[in-house]
Amino acid sequence: MTASRRHHPLWTRAFHAFNVVVLLVMAASGLQIYNANPVFGGQGGPTVPELFTLGGWLAGGRDWHFGFMGLYASNLGLWIALLIQRRRDRLAHSGDLATLNASSNLAKRRVASHRVVYTLMLILLAFGLITGLAMYKPAQFWWLSGLFSFGELFGATSWHTLRVFHLATIPAIALLTVVHLALSWRIGGWLLWRSILA
Amino acid sequence: MNRRQFLGLAYSSGSSLLLGGCALNRFSEGVGNATQPLNERIEALLQGKGKVPEFRRDQVDPGALLVNSFNGMPRLDPARYRLRVEGLVRQPLQLNLADLAALPQQEITIRHVCVEGWAAIVNWSGVRLADVLALAGFSSLGGYLAIESADQFFTTWDITSALHPQTLLATGMNGAPLPVVNGAPVRLASPIKLGYKLSKWVTGLEVIPSLDSLRRGTWEDNGYEWFAGL
Repeated sequence: MTASRRHHPLWTRAFHAFNVVVLLVMAASGLQIYNANPVFGGQGGPTVPELFTLGGWLAGGRDWHFGFMGLYASNLGLWIALLIQRRRDRLAHSGDLATLNASSNLAKRRVASHRVVYTLMLILLAFGLITGLAMYKPAQFWWLSGLFSFGELFGATSWHTLRVFHLATIPAIALLTVVHLALSWRIGGWLLWRSILA
Repeated sequence: MNRRQFLGLAYSSGSSLLLGGCALNRFSEGVGNATQPLNERIEALLQGKGKVPEFRRDQVDPGALLVNSFNGMPRLDPARYRLRVEGLVRQPLQLNLADLAALPQQEITIRHVCVEGWAAIVNWSGVRLADVLALAGFSSLGGYLAIESADQFFTTWDITSALHPQTLLATGMNGAPLPVVNGAPVRLASPIKLGYKLSKWVTGLEVIPSLDSLRRGTWEDNGYEWFAGL
């Protein structure tokens, strides 16, 4: 079978692997920062177990979070730019939605939905970057953090809305990762996994 | 190391992060030291010299402003209070509260952001730090400002942030005199710095030519970022 010898291009594998490491650092250090003042409950609110945090204390968490944010942003930005430029058919497109709407071919539907899922993951990661920037520089990027004042309609300050949305990146990406793993396993099994991992 | 080994290492280190987080904690400071110089340069570049937009007075939420003090709450006698302005200045000053009240009074309604993650919209009133430094005739050789507080709290600022038009020596809060717990009689207030840069109970300002790497501030010397811009 020829598929056994096929690999994703080196740059895709490199961005993918690096993204996994950087994401784990950002999530764990982010949860460390969360613990200094839990978004839900404030001081005295429930904290995240130490096992899932990185940094040891608030300043340590910030060291990692702001130390890796540049790597996170440039890895994600370059990856998305390359995907759009050179591998347009690797990202989801309207044809995938049409497949999901009309096709009864299960294999085709799986491939289409998988493309939608990992494209959503990239969009979600970009959203995490935007909400992060809005909280990192709320005064200089007032136009960005100001967008989140829609939360005032529901009685939440724009700051609290930002915190909730930024934190929500973690459960959302975790959920999509599970779907991503399951779908890719169903589609290509070990051969597909090996083609992206090694 | 070949490509396969590299990618394998990347994944295994990624998955062991979850379990090995505690072992990695001792590298936190190294990661910070390696990346903060560049981050701080970008922060300084991003920071404009002009005013940032303010909030409406009705957005002020007094209950959201928490009180974090590092060394209790000093009570300063307003009648005997003096603000020292010294260092690289033409005219060292000892200002009392009447001297400060005679300077042009400013008001800002801004978001006070704590390093812990919470924030509160607060209205501050007082004099511009820039006006006080100008009164003392600060030298252009002074690139930094050291700020001392009555509770031994200490911090240092870059002079550009200190001269920002919304950086105040506040004597009032939310339309009333500044409460003691919030730093009376004089504290720093600004929309462009994190809360731990905004000293309460300020008693001394010293214009200095350079930073002492071992004494950059109470929290900064414990591991927090020095620039701490917003």
